[in-house]
Amino acid sequence: MSQQNEATTTSRRNFLKTAGIAGSGLCLALYFPSLAKAAKIVNADEGGVDDVEMNAWVHINTSGKVTIFCHRAEMGQGAYQAVPQIVAEELEVDLDKVNIVFAQGNRKKYGGQVTGGSSTVRGSYKNLLKLGATAREMLIAAAAARWGVPAAECFAASAQVHHRPGGKTLHYGELVVSASKMEAPKEVKQKARADYKLIGKPLKRQDTVLKTNGTAIFGIDKKIPGMKYAAVERNPRLRGTVKSYDDSATMRVPGVTKVIKVKMAVFNTYREGVAVIANSTWAAMQGKKALKVEWDDSGFEHISTEDIYKRQQEDLATKEGLLLKKVGDPDAVIKKGGKVLDVVYQTPYQSHSCMEPLNCIAHYQGDKLEVWGPIQGPDWVQDFLSKEMGVAKENVFINMTFLGGGFGRKAFLDYPHEACVISKEIGAPVQVVWSREDDMTQGPYRPGVSYRCEAVVANGGIEAFKVRMSGQNTDHWDAEKSTKANGSTSEGFLKPYFEAIGNVSFSDVPFETPIPIMWWRSVYASTNGFAYESFIDEIALAAGKDPLELRRQYLKEDRIRKQIDKLVEVSGWKNRKKNEGYGVAMTECFNSTVGQVVKVSRGANGKVKIDHVWAVMDCGWYVNPDTIRAQVEGSIVMALGAATIHEITFKDGLVEQKNFYAYKMPRISDIPFEIEVHIMDNDAAAGGVGEPGLPPFAPALTNAIFDLTGSRIRKLPFDMNTI
Amino acid sequence: MKQATLHARKAGVIIALLGVVVVLSSSFRYVPHGSASTRDSAVSAQAFMKVYSVLMSPRCVNCHPAGDVPLQGELSQPHAMSPQRGDDGKGVYAMKCANCHQAVNLPGPHMPPGNPNWHLPPANMKMVFQGKTPRELALQLTNPATNGNKDKKKLLEHADDGLVVGGWNPGEGRALPPLSYAEFKKAWRTWIETGAYAPAK
Amino acid sequence: MISLNVNGESHSIDADPEMPLLWALRDILNLTGTKYGCGVAQCGACVVHLDGEAVRSCVTKVSRAGGRKVITIEGLSANNDHPLQKAWQEIDVPQCGYCHSGQIMSAAVLLRENPNPTDADIDAAMSGNICRCGTYPRIRKAIHLAAAWQAKGNGR
Repeated sequence: MSQQNEATTTSRRNFLKTAGIAGSGLCLALYFPSLAKAAKIVNADEGGVDDVEMNAWVHINTSGKVTIFCHRAEMGQGAYQAVPQIVAEELEVDLDKVNIVFAQGNRKKYGGQVTGGSSTVRGSYKNLLKLGATAREMLIAAAAARWGVPAAECFAASAQVHHRPGGKTLHYGELVVSASKMEAPKEVKQKARADYKLIGKPLKRQDTVLKTNGTAIFGIDKKIPGMKYAAVERNPRLRGTVKSYDDSATMRVPGVTKVIKVKMAVFNTYREGVAVIANSTWAAMQGKKALKVEWDDSGFEHISTEDIYKRQQEDLATKEGLLLKKVGDPDAVIKKGGKVLDVVYQTPYQSHSCMEPLNCIAHYQGDKLEVWGPIQGPDWVQDFLSKEMGVAKENVFINMTFLGGGFGRKAFLDYPHEACVISKEIGAPVQVVWSREDDMTQGPYRPGVSYRCEAVVANGGIEAFKVRMSGQNTDHWDAEKSTKANGSTSEGFLKPYFEAIGNVSFSDVPFETPIPIMWWRSVYASTNGFAYESFIDEIALAAGKDPLELRRQYLKEDRIRKQIDKLVEVSGWKNRKKNEGYGVAMTECFNSTVGQVVKVSRGANGKVKIDHVWAVMDCGWYVNPDTIRAQVEGSIVMALGAATIHEITFKDGLVEQKNFYAYKMPRISDIPFEIEVHIMDNDAAAGGVGEPGLPPFAPALTNAIFDLTGSRIRKLPFDMNTI
Repeated sequence: MKQATLHARKAGVIIALLGVVVVLSSSFRYVPHGSASTRDSAVSAQAFMKVYSVLMSPRCVNCHPAGDVPLQGELSQPHAMSPQRGDDGKGVYAMKCANCHQAVNLPGPHMPPGNPNWHLPPANMKMVFQGKTPRELALQLTNPATNGNKDKKKLLEHADDGLVVGGWNPGEGRALPPLSYAEFKKAWRTWIETGAYAPAK
Repeated sequence: MISLNVNGESHSIDADPEMPLLWALRDILNLTGTKYGCGVAQCGACVVHLDGEAVRSCVTKVSRAGGRKVITIEGLSANNDHPLQKAWQEIDVPQCGYCHSGQIMSAAVLLRENPNPTDADIDAAMSGNICRCGTYPRIRKAIHLAAAWQAKGNGR
């Protein structure tokens, strides 16, 4: 039975203390393939049992217990399942008997750990397969040596090595010490995909049990001996400094012990706030409410939402911007005239609004710093805190808990940094908990983007396709990059279009505000997809083509053609009935392509309703089909919210939505329809899963609404009730 | 001033006379108690218009919705998360009123307002205010078949109901009804004691 | 001191009577399965049973719970085997999992009061619980499955 709880994380900590973070054990990681001949053997919790680090991901103790480390964050997307499912396949262990533990931040040992870009499986599966197979082969070799038989006569299964002719068996625990002393083979035989027993199977997630009885430990649930609680009042205008504060009422709140000024890093700037330290979360929150803070809001613009889009669209009307990518000469074709489409799409700012508000525990001890929290990038946090707090990197320990949602927000470094600053100031471990209002009003947000899309349609096809976007650029926080086009301008757009259309360009008309922005699930594809796939639909109409057939005309790759065939087959695209609206969209991000068809109709009350969503995911090689289905289902629900229910708006530099009463969420009654997910089977390299299902939904929906009603939606969010 | 009042009275009498005609020809079943001398259709209907302004304010109409989901906020929009009325008006399953609405208001904006008896009218007596004209509402309020089986005495007492009074303690960030409670109660009593006449429209 | 009966155990806690039950459970009794999500009764992550009703502990003062029976997700069943917990496991409902304590506690009241809920009943009972990961289709399936198991008498 896998566990992720107080006991195992404590045990892990003890181990690391003994073994040393550098881990001189057999490290088989492809990232850092230097091999040591002797594995580190340490005393683990069980009396008389040695725990052997076979490699960075696999520990086996002498009683036979196998521990697999998950080096990536588990925020719902299934890393805690996928990483062990891959390793266990080649290691030949039963997944439900494995102990799964989150690894600490350590890039040297695990490679990059930032859990973003849907990169966990696609970025590490080859390595995980190889290290699992290598450990297995070493265990087999150890058994063969002990029995004095050829290794070829032995095989591994269920954490045991068997000698086929002799009928002999030894469990991994009996072999691990001698196996760890052997030279790791440079090349190991890996299983054929057809022989997989775990990979590719819809295995039940190992964290589900923990998430149905309250035992899964999220960051906010973690407790450290002697821990204080803190709540921080931060500038509601997202920048600026503390001019003065009055804590007299705060200090009268029972349980409040201290009030201090703090600053935390926000990209290349610092944000100031006032922290209330108390002996419970609630006391800290009450104390914070009683604070009176005067802010210095000078030196930056206090922007409002209407100004943002006005300025973006004025710029798009006149400026060419920075060219990102160009094929052929779309401008020349557009200049010639003919059937020219020239439209603007607009997408809103959005909050991540993870169900678990931001929180972090830090314990600063001078020459040592330890952090626990819902953290998407533990190695990043380690680098950053080492630098900011002046503690040697090997003495900065970053512990991941389960994350109650991430969506990009928890890859940010501000909240761990702030917790460290407070811990240092008060000389004690502290947990900073952000209120929902803090979480929603402080950003960073997905940027709101306007798009100007131009095309020339002739001869039943696209003669030119020109896109300019104007929206804040996640790279522009680094001032040096502000003269470069946003590299994400064409994110989401299917690559074969470029050559097939022939005259295509994507440009970025730079646009900046003081509002902090950040990756939001599927990043720019989440907004680009709406613009580009709506535009393709508009082009199809102008060209007199069926929207799916127009795509087939330009997406000539075999792999995409098969996906289109699948979409047609499962959605009944060709048998559409009167009074039904069908819309399609296909986008690509993080090496996966997803196509979706949405079917809408008018309900008895005359309002447009969604009847069915079909999604076809092509992510190449995959681990767990049920996780993929779940991710696509969830992406569609999240996309529905962002397209039709909520947006973040600003007035005079203040965020107008403070909690779920204003930033409304889709609820179960908003999802009466079925979401049907199909997965393409092929041998292409693994692509991402957690994000690519999101971008096609909004355009597929608005394209379906156009099909039903003739009304084209170019601005998100829109209200389904008013169509 | 006097002149204006006189004109208003005259106009009121005319309206009230029309009203009486309509009332008598309608299905109005509430027989006013009290002596004929206390009845004054003009005064009564005028008093009801004051009552109506309160009953149609968010503090009252929000829990007297046309559908089975309460309204909320100053714009009387459907309550977030769509809690259902339920047979007894106290919600259903995991979405009962008292699961969020406490016995008292909680401090802070957007916190659930409280009352020990928070509920909607029951399903078999919905007492809808939303969308009703003054006349429709007055008729509804005076008919025991649509007012929760209230006779005159109970109707008079209803002004003292804890949930009604609670309308004037709405919690942070919520507007008070357009009349003070004292003004409302006076108008309510006047309306009933002068015959509980329904305005013409 | 406030007397609380939580998951069948009596506790006497030293808490401000104004403190929401949520924080008393989490910070004083260390029962962290009940989650903080919004603090204003909007999201349902904090749902616990108070004398059997699915109250939102973020707006329920600990004093209201005094002398009454509180059941949290940790106490819903002895072995994580309430039909809903088993159905949640069978269908692999949770993603991040943060909201599901509240989801299951809300669904438990629904199933107790209506052993055979329709989709409309599920909407009526569960629209108070937000899931940012969007597991709603699976929540619906799992409630139907738990109801079916319960009807067959093999819910556990």
